[in-house]
Amino acid sequence: MGAKGTSGLTANRSVDLGAAASRLASRTKGAFSEAMEREEHIDGLQRIVLNERGRLLRFLASRGAGDEAEDLLQELWQRVSAATGQPISDPVSYLFRAAENLIRDFRRSTLSRERRQFDWHETRPADNDEPTGERVLIARERLREVEAALDSLGERVSQVFRLYRIEGEGQAAIARRLGISLSSVEKDLQKAYRALAELKARYDAE
Amino acid sequence: MTTQHLDIAEAARLWVIRARDSAFADWDGLADWLDSNPQHLAAYDAAVDLDDWSEDLFRHRQPQPVAELASFRQPQPSYQRTRRWYTWGGAIAASLVAVASFSMLGRHAPEEIVTGPGEHRTIPLADGSRIILNGGTRIMLDSDSPREVELAAGEALFEVKHDDSKPFVVTVGETRLVDAGTVFNVVSDRGLLDVAVAEGAVIYQPGAREIRLGAGDGLTRSTATSDPILRKALPKAIGGWQSGRLMYSNASLDEVARDLGRNIGTTIRPAGGSDRLRFTGTLVLNGTADEVLSRAGPLLGVDFASDGDAWRMTPANGAPPY
Repeated sequence: MGAKGTSGLTANRSVDLGAAASRLASRTKGAFSEAMEREEHIDGLQRIVLNERGRLLRFLASRGAGDEAEDLLQELWQRVSAATGQPISDPVSYLFRAAENLIRDFRRSTLSRERRQFDWHETRPADNDEPTGERVLIARERLREVEAALDSLGERVSQVFRLYRIEGEGQAAIARRLGISLSSVEKDLQKAYRALAELKARYDAE
Repeated sequence: MTTQHLDIAEAARLWVIRARDSAFADWDGLADWLDSNPQHLAAYDAAVDLDDWSEDLFRHRQPQPVAELASFRQPQPSYQRTRRWYTWGGAIAASLVAVASFSMLGRHAPEEIVTGPGEHRTIPLADGSRIILNGGTRIMLDSDSPREVELAAGEALFEVKHDDSKPFVVTVGETRLVDAGTVFNVVSDRGLLDVAVAEGAVIYQPGAREIRLGAGDGLTRSTATSDPILRKALPKAIGGWQSGRLMYSNASLDEVARDLGRNIGTTIRPAGGSDRLRFTGTLVLNGTADEVLSRAGPLLGVDFASDGDAWRMTPANGAPPY
């Protein structure tokens, strides 16, 4: 089963890539060399997906994919092939992160589909992109409360949370910047997330 | 039961916190934890939802990016971005000064306009076109031929009011870029030329052979005599520097280093093969050079080290294989 799935993946992708490469080749020489680079890059990740196939499947299954783990691995393959060109410092971890994001997206789209089916009669097209004035006001009010709650935990907790969650800095960089230990950074983040969880539980109940 | 439930929620949040870090690698440990108790998966999903929720919430703080420049709309109150708006106030004032000196100097030979490192300036032209200059940029304007601009060095975004009878021309060395109704970005850097078209079309005229670039096309030429390389550009990303962000799709770090340097007013030298890395994503430019680079480093997979008045950029994980 494993071998069959694997060769299927490989064959599909190489056909697509061949077509993509020749499309690009007809455009310009420069674009073609880019396509070649891209293909080499995919080969690298391709190998790693094959090598780590068992671990990735196990992760997807544990993460809630269940019987769909194989399908999601296929989907992961497609995504990874499309997302070439990033500097990937740790390809194995990169693939696991991609798998995690895939599960999150999958879950979000399932949830929003269910929601749409549930209250389709209330949904107007504008709802999706343009928040209504009232919703914006509620969100701002809640943001004020959340910020007050974070500030009440101390300036550092609030700063660490913002750097990490909003600015996207790594824990190590934050520890260096603030001159504190990694475990202090993590404890601050735990405090902040705990406070957020309490507020969210209250809002959800409203 | 309740205590255990709280412990699980706490542990789930810790996993979500850890997994958010780009340095996180313990994916097997996460899978082990998820498998060890049937309640763990639901708790983990709830913590992911919490994480998403906080992001949505904080999004209400951000002023709407991009496009603001055109309308100069009043910014939403915001934390930490406020400074940039004040900077823009300064930039607008500066451009008004530029307009004033323009019309007074009029009639004279080509006027040179120079921006300092990291400075942005908008130059409105008489025909309604605008040129937005990035930092470290030098352009020449000639009031005798107002539809022709020389980009001597640096980067500028051109928003051109098209006129079939009087095409707008940007010259870079011997090369002419002729607009055909257009918003386009041009970089000129010691022989290197890069053009990206956001709207309309531009005709690249290096001399004999013309190339027509439509919306979403980009062209790079590394020296005045080398062959141009065509690429696809994201139209909404073109000129992103004017709103404090640089967006890339599969760009070489050579290019990223050049752009970053120009925007924060320093020189960034790729070393150790970092120029062979590629990047897709968005870099935010607010803050000091230190802040910008310490944010960009992990995203690009490189380390920045101060090197006199310049910065050295080396791969964070050793030289890339190819």
